[in-house]
Amino acid sequence: MWVYEKKLQYPAKVGRANLQMAKYLITQYGGPDGELAAALRYLTQRYNMPTPQAKGILTDIGTEEMAHLEIIATLVFKLMERATVDEIKRAGLGGYYADHDKSLFYVNGDGVPWTAAYIQAKGDPVADLHEDMAAEEKARATYQWLIDLSDDPDLNDTLKFLREREIVHFQRFGETLQIVQEYIDCKKVY
Amino acid sequence: MYSPNDQMRLARAYVPFQIYSERLNPMEGLMKGTIFPELYFPYREHKR
Repeated sequence: MWVYEKKLQYPAKVGRANLQMAKYLITQYGGPDGELAAALRYLTQRYNMPTPQAKGILTDIGTEEMAHLEIIATLVFKLMERATVDEIKRAGLGGYYADHDKSLFYVNGDGVPWTAAYIQAKGDPVADLHEDMAAEEKARATYQWLIDLSDDPDLNDTLKFLREREIVHFQRFGETLQIVQEYIDCKKVY
Repeated sequence: MYSPNDQMRLARAYVPFQIYSERLNPMEGLMKGTIFPELYFPYREHKR
């Protein structure tokens, strides 16, 4: 069960409307290394973790990724807000507009819809934790390329916060991996 | 290159445990994305 706060984890400000940036940023919403993939991956892998600490960290981080999903949604919405159809066409978002108008949908920067094929739950906690650590690094890299693509200091401020969270999550998954490996080693002794 | 310690075995990944030392105040921690200075690794943007 979740208790939710009616506010964002971090402010989601943009300096100006920017459709091109909205098109790029939406990959963190519904792309292969985006926040939806992260949240759904961790929140389903947690059931098969062998220790309470590992279950807890996947629940905690999966929950935080939902908060990040909300931040990305807010940013994309603000970047697209008040855009005219002509502006949307010029930014290469005509196809997106035909399917979704300006509503938020789970796609990558090229409009490819989110798919569960992006994630896995392997039944092997060590394999799953390696996937999770890789996911954090890929999300960190995506934030870096988005910061390179953006010239909006307000937007970049939020993207830098989200990038740093990926680093902290990597550390926590790494610590969890040691705990899980030691637990599995101990079990083999008996 | 780091020399492996006796406890480490091949074909396994290791991330050192974070040892609690100091922490930033909550507002600075929020702005940076972590309250732990040793986990703060800001991005140096590429030159355009």
